[in-house]
Amino acid sequence: MSEPLSRIPGGMRYYFGAEARLRRFVEDAAMTVFDGWSYEEITTPTVDYYALFEHGMGRREARRAFRFTDADGSMLALRPDVTSAVARAAATLFAARPRPLRLCYAASVFRQRPQSHAQWRREQAQTGCELIGSNADAADVEMLVIACEALNRLGLAGQYSITLGNVEIFNGVVEGLALSQPLREEMRRLVDLRDGADLERFLAPYASAEERGAFARLVQLPGKRSVLTAARPVITNPRARAALARIERLWRVIEALDLADHFEIDLGDVSGLDYYTGPTFKIYVRGAGGSVGGGGRYDLLTANFGRAEPAIGFVLDLDALTDVLLTDNEGSAATAFEPELTARALTGDDQAALFTQALGGRARGARVRLNFSEAEQ
Amino acid sequence: MTKLTLAVAKGRLQAQTLELLAGAGVRIAREAGTSRRLSVEDEAGRYRLIFVKPMDVPVYVEHGIADCGVVGRDVLLEAEPDLLQPLALNIGGCRIALAAPVGAPRRADRMRRVATKYPRIAARHFGARGVPVEIIELSGSVELAPVLGLADCIVDVVETGRTLQENGLRVVEVIAESTARLVVNRASYQLKAATVARLIADLGGVGR
Repeated sequence: MSEPLSRIPGGMRYYFGAEARLRRFVEDAAMTVFDGWSYEEITTPTVDYYALFEHGMGRREARRAFRFTDADGSMLALRPDVTSAVARAAATLFAARPRPLRLCYAASVFRQRPQSHAQWRREQAQTGCELIGSNADAADVEMLVIACEALNRLGLAGQYSITLGNVEIFNGVVEGLALSQPLREEMRRLVDLRDGADLERFLAPYASAEERGAFARLVQLPGKRSVLTAARPVITNPRARAALARIERLWRVIEALDLADHFEIDLGDVSGLDYYTGPTFKIYVRGAGGSVGGGGRYDLLTANFGRAEPAIGFVLDLDALTDVLLTDNEGSAATAFEPELTARALTGDDQAALFTQALGGRARGARVRLNFSEAEQ
Repeated sequence: MTKLTLAVAKGRLQAQTLELLAGAGVRIAREAGTSRRLSVEDEAGRYRLIFVKPMDVPVYVEHGIADCGVVGRDVLLEAEPDLLQPLALNIGGCRIALAAPVGAPRRADRMRRVATKYPRIAARHFGARGVPVEIIELSGSVELAPVLGLADCIVDVVETGRTLQENGLRVVEVIAESTARLVVNRASYQLKAATVARLIADLGGVGR
């Protein structure tokens, strides 16, 4: 029995009409902001070696990719992320360029297995930027203000919240406790679930009841400056303290820029432990059921390609942002992206006259729409 | 204050959940609790409660349609949703167990066909032991399957064990203990942090 040709593979879809235009607008807005901060656009291969992503994203994430084999038997993948290939380019193609490198992209990424049930799409449009070759605090700040500008440009001012974390806090605490790999993973899981009671039970052999309670509360809820005040007496491991100090410096700049309303400190974000090496952030927008973007510092990534250097980057989920804008202002946004409503309809039997009129309109930048009579010939 | 939408699992857990919520200050009118309405507001207007099938609680919360939910750990082990689980609640206690007809061999590796509402839990359990099994997914009356010969054993939720007993089955092995949990959508946790924190504190105060 043959399958009907009308079928579409799961997680794949068409985009058209107002939604397609809105999508383009979101991408253009983000890319314009990146360009404004001197990020150069780069397009990476859609198909690449699977090994690249295995090293670039970590094995667990890379396994979600669509995989197939090349003619010579090597394993290929539809790119599940862009950063891996950008990092490779930085270490090879752009090895001789002065640092820092500023690169940005807008591209689809493909994941055969989604991370959550709410993530239906297997092709996701992403736009992001990477700042490679600087470990300065200012590089971290640059990422955050670019993200804010992009969200503001999309009309989302006051509707988003960016959470700041640092994976080195968890890594430092685990180092201090000298946990084995399986126990480390169990602790990561409990922190990630925000399960305060189980986390306290887990920590029972390692700390006093008071310390345990304080640590569990610390990683459970996000907050502003008060989180830092609460963290200082609890976080004693030097590695974790250095990470906390970095958040504190970042927070001081955020306050000075009067951006504190848009940010929260979340010491319980341990989602990118295999990948990130320092500050991390996640972007949440009212109306979206998951994060719409995020990023962080990944200082170990480029070492895979023979040149270790610090780097930080972030990505915006174009599809999630488009969904928010589409449902948020169904009236205004949808109308603005509906071409029929703003086009000048032109009719006429004399083709020369019709097209003269149309070309005149186009020269002025007007949107025209020709109505043909089908009777002739 | 931001209003929260809370998904409540219908059935076994519903009455206990509403009682627990009332203790935490989330009260709904008596008639609303017994009517067939699937969505009600609490008396203070701070919460909207929606009543859905247990397996659908993580679905609503993962999509962010509901900010929070109350659901059994059995459902979470089966669905493996990407959700926060900040609080274990002392209600809905039960066990997820492997059960077989009285007199059947005690060894789990003799079980060939497993009937269950929890195919992933069952697959994980036998997979971890390297035992190949055929899993037959059913949506109810699982205890009937071994009696009629559809399966050798079942993986199911056991509360008192009476249903098992009445159908000539006994627990061979307990796979996991389960109580209800508060689950929270990842975005709601950040965007409605203060409101969610208050719910966690209120429920935590009653729960222990």
